[in-house]
Amino acid sequence: MRANDAIAGLVLIILSIVMIALTASFPDFPGQKYGPSLFPRILGAGLIVCGGILMWNGLTARRLGAPWIEIAPWAKEPRRLATFVLVLVLLLLYIFAAETVGFIPLALLFLVTLFVWLGVRPWIAAATAIAGTFTIYWFFATLLRVPLPRGWLNSIL
Amino acid sequence: MDALLTASRLIFDPYVLWVITASAAFGMFVGAMPGLTATMATALLVPVTFFMDPVPALGAIVTATAMAIFAGDIPAALLRIPGTPASAAYTDESYAMSKKGQLDLNLGVNLVFSVLGGFVGVAILIVCAPALAEVAINFSSFEYFWLALLGLTCAVFMTSDVPLKGITSLLFGLAVNCIGIDPAAGYPRFTFGSVELLQGISFIPAMIGMFALSELLRGMVHADATGAVIAQEIGNIFSGVFGVFKRYWFNFLRGSAIGVLIGALPGAGADIAAWISFAISKRFSKEPEKFGTGHIEGIVDATSANNSALGGAWIPALVFGIPGDSITAIVIGVLYMKGMNPGPTVFLQNPQFIYAVFLIFILANILMLPLGWIAIKGGKQLLRVPRNVLLPVILMFCLVGSYAMTNSIYGVIMMVVMGLIGWLMEEHGFPIAPAILGLVLGEMLEQNFMTSMIKADGAFIMFFERPIAATLGVVTLLIWGTMLWRGIRGRPATLSAAAPGP
Repeated sequence: MRANDAIAGLVLIILSIVMIALTASFPDFPGQKYGPSLFPRILGAGLIVCGGILMWNGLTARRLGAPWIEIAPWAKEPRRLATFVLVLVLLLLYIFAAETVGFIPLALLFLVTLFVWLGVRPWIAAATAIAGTFTIYWFFATLLRVPLPRGWLNSIL
Repeated sequence: MDALLTASRLIFDPYVLWVITASAAFGMFVGAMPGLTATMATALLVPVTFFMDPVPALGAIVTATAMAIFAGDIPAALLRIPGTPASAAYTDESYAMSKKGQLDLNLGVNLVFSVLGGFVGVAILIVCAPALAEVAINFSSFEYFWLALLGLTCAVFMTSDVPLKGITSLLFGLAVNCIGIDPAAGYPRFTFGSVELLQGISFIPAMIGMFALSELLRGMVHADATGAVIAQEIGNIFSGVFGVFKRYWFNFLRGSAIGVLIGALPGAGADIAAWISFAISKRFSKEPEKFGTGHIEGIVDATSANNSALGGAWIPALVFGIPGDSITAIVIGVLYMKGMNPGPTVFLQNPQFIYAVFLIFILANILMLPLGWIAIKGGKQLLRVPRNVLLPVILMFCLVGSYAMTNSIYGVIMMVVMGLIGWLMEEHGFPIAPAILGLVLGEMLEQNFMTSMIKADGAFIMFFERPIAATLGVVTLLIWGTMLWRGIRGRPATLSAAAPGP
C-alpha cells in the first residue's frame, strides 16, 4: 500500500504540530535563554516545511492523475496479504502473551504456524520448530543468561 | 608500541579467535543468502555481542560484515540475485560471465579482489585515523556541531534519489531521538510518564526493527522460492586471477580508493561505493562496449570498492563518533553501551582498543581467503536452504534479540513499532539510513548545538569564529545551498543519480 505524498505530508504536519504543542509545557530555566524545548521546536518546524512540500508535490501528482492510495501488486494477492497480517498477529500475540504463557510454547506456536503457512511440509515444520526453539532458548537463556519469560514453565517446574 | 602488544594479546586469545571464526561463518552465510544484508547481520549479532567484552564484540562485527560483503557476490554469479545490496552493481555482469563459462574466474576475482580491497581499506584507516584524531582532539562544541551536521547532510545527499524524502527521514530520526531525558538540561521529554521511555528509544531494538524486521516482512510476503538448484560446476577459482591483476591493477587501486572515500562519507556505504566505482570504471574504460557482456574490468573496480568501503566507514566512526555507514552506526551504539565513547580521546585513553580494531580488520581479510573458498565450494548447498524455513527462524531470533537488550517486553515492542515504521517508510520511498543516523547522532548534535548556543549567547558569528568550524560550516551551508538551488530548478541533487539506485 502506498499513500499519496500529500497524505504522508499531512500526517507529518499533524505530528509535528502535536510535538511542538507538547514542548509548550517544558520548563524554562532561569537565566538560560535556550531550554529543552528549543531543539524539538526547530525539528518540528523543519518537518512542517518538509510536510508542506510533500503535500504540494502530492497534490500536483494527484492533479496529473496519481491515485490517493496505490495498492502494491503483492497486496492484491489474498494469500500474500494474509501472510503479512499473520506475521503482525503473531508479533502482537507474542508481545501480549509472552509474560503469561512463556517463551517456549509461544515460540513453538509461532514457528509451526509460519512454517506450515509458508508451505513447509508438516513433519519438517514440527522438527525445525522444536530444534529452533530449543536452540534459541539454550543459547539465550542458558548461555547468555537472558531471563526469557518462563510463563507456564513456572507452574510445571 | 606497548598498546600494539596489548592489542595483539587481546586478539590472539583462543576465545576471541573462536568468536572471530564463528562470526566469519555467520557473515558468509548471511551475506550469501539473498534478502539478508550485511547490516542485518550486524543488527542480529549485536544482542549476542552485548554479553561480550569490547574486543571480541568488535571482532565479531568487523569479521561478519567483511565476509557478508564478499559472500554477496556468490549468488550474484550463480543465480543473478545479489546476496547483499553491495553486490547489486555488478550482478548482471557477473551472471553474464557465468553464462559465458567464466564462472570460476569470476568467483576467483571476486574473492581475491575483495580481500585486496579490504586490505587497502584497513591500510588507509590505519594511516588516517590517528592523524585525524590528533586534529580532532582540539575540537570544541562548535566544530562538533558542524561536523555532526555535515555528516547528516552527507547522509541525505548520498542516500536518496529524492533529497526531500531523505531530509524528512533525517528530521524524523532526530525527532524520535528527542524522546527521553534531554542532554542539556536533563528534563524528560515526550515520555508520557513511562519509565522505560526515560532512557530514550532503545537503540539496538530500533535498529533490529528498522533493518531486520522490515526486510523480513518484505521477504515473507514474497517467500515462495524454496531454495535454488544450481547446475553449474565450480572448478579451480584461482587460475587466471593473477593475469587479471596484472592487467587491471590500476582499476583495483582506483576502485579501492573510491571505496574508502565513499565509505568514509557518512551515510554512504559499500553498496553506493560499488555503484559509483562500477560507473567510473565503465566511463574511463578503453573498451566500454564490452561492459554488459560479461567483462571482468568493472567487477574488479566494484568488488574491491565495496570491501574497502568497510574500512573507510570506520575512519569517521572512530575519530569523531560519526558513522560512515549503517554498519558503523550500529557499532557506535555498541561502543556507547560498552561505556567507550567513540571520539579522539579513545586514541589517547584506550589506544590498545584502536589497534585491536586494526588487527581484527587485517585478520578478517586474511581469514576471508580460505573461508571464502569454502563458501564458494559449498555455495550450491548453501543456496539450497529454503527461505520459508529460514525467515521465520530469523524473525524469532529478532524477537529474542530485542528482548535481550532490555530484558523486558519493552524491547520487543520497540522493535515491532520501529520495524513497522521502517517498512512504511520504505514503501513510500523514504530512505531508512538518514533516520538511523539521526537516531545515532541526535544526542551529539543537540548537545553540541545547545552548548554552542549557550556559549554564543545570541552572537551567531561565534559558530564561524574558529577556522575549522568556519570551514565545516561553510561547506555544510554550501551543500544545503546546492540542494536548494537544484531543488528549485527541478534537478535531482544526489550523487547516486549517476548510478541507478539499488
